[in-house]
Amino acid sequence: MKSSRIEELKRQRQTEIQPKKSQLPYLFFPVLAFFALYYYFFNTDKTYSIIWIVGILIGITMQRSRFCFVASFRDPIMIGNTSLFRAVIIGLIIATVGFGIFQYKAVGNIPNYSIDDIPGQIFPVGLNTIIGALLFGIGMVIAGGCASGTLIRIGEGHIMQVVVLLGFVIGTTLGAGHFGFWEKLFIFSSKTIYMPQYMGFLPAVTVQLAVLGILYLLAGWYDKKNNIMKL
Amino acid sequence: MAKHELDCMFEACPIPLLKALKKLNTMEIGEILIMRTDHNCSIVNVVEWAKKQGHYIDYIELGEGQWEIYIEKAK
Repeated sequence: MKSSRIEELKRQRQTEIQPKKSQLPYLFFPVLAFFALYYYFFNTDKTYSIIWIVGILIGITMQRSRFCFVASFRDPIMIGNTSLFRAVIIGLIIATVGFGIFQYKAVGNIPNYSIDDIPGQIFPVGLNTIIGALLFGIGMVIAGGCASGTLIRIGEGHIMQVVVLLGFVIGTTLGAGHFGFWEKLFIFSSKTIYMPQYMGFLPAVTVQLAVLGILYLLAGWYDKKNNIMKL
Repeated sequence: MAKHELDCMFEACPIPLLKALKKLNTMEIGEILIMRTDHNCSIVNVVEWAKKQGHYIDYIELGEGQWEIYIEKAK
């Protein structure tokens, strides 16, 4: 539904706007940097040259789709919109299947495999996970961006996010420096849980996909039903 | 009919939406809110929110990375 008065205002404003300056010439410098770094990686470490291209593609996808982990967890609460939240769930579904295949290929045929041999980020789960997630969640909503979102916005020209990145660098450095202390305090006593060890690969993947599927349906239902920030 | 202007330039993500909500609260039905923002996420979340609330909404791009959002309070 359109409002005639907004249409009128738009037409009027469109005549006042100066034609946009093309920013295309600036593209030359990033493209040059891209090829220079690719050439450098290709001659030093081939793995990095692949990671470099994958990273660029992920960046372009996230910027164009406005994929934002902050919004995916904040918008359901703030405006009752779960479209990004469902996008994250779809991402997890794809990752579940993909990692399931990779991990099965790596250790599926070895009896009594050790968790260190499994590809992927498998870490102890415990109180440390909950506290860390809560702290990170508060921080990312205040900063208006998680790690990837902050980097995307710096690229778009948001100066405020540069301050966030500075905080990020300080925080990560401090965290890495004190990691031994935290590991002794919480992480060491927490258990590393790897589901396929208890129930086998296929049931573990199936259970995880079922849980994610149910969450997806619940999120869709919530989206239709809720509209928390009312006038 | 009264037009209200709201400057949300350089504001971080949810602030434009919260400012719009507060401003709309003080406005009469039929009045138009003109929001200016440089945050492309606002285009998504303000527009979706306003549509869900049942207000008229549209936007134009003023320059590279600068938008003006128009909201007409409908109820």
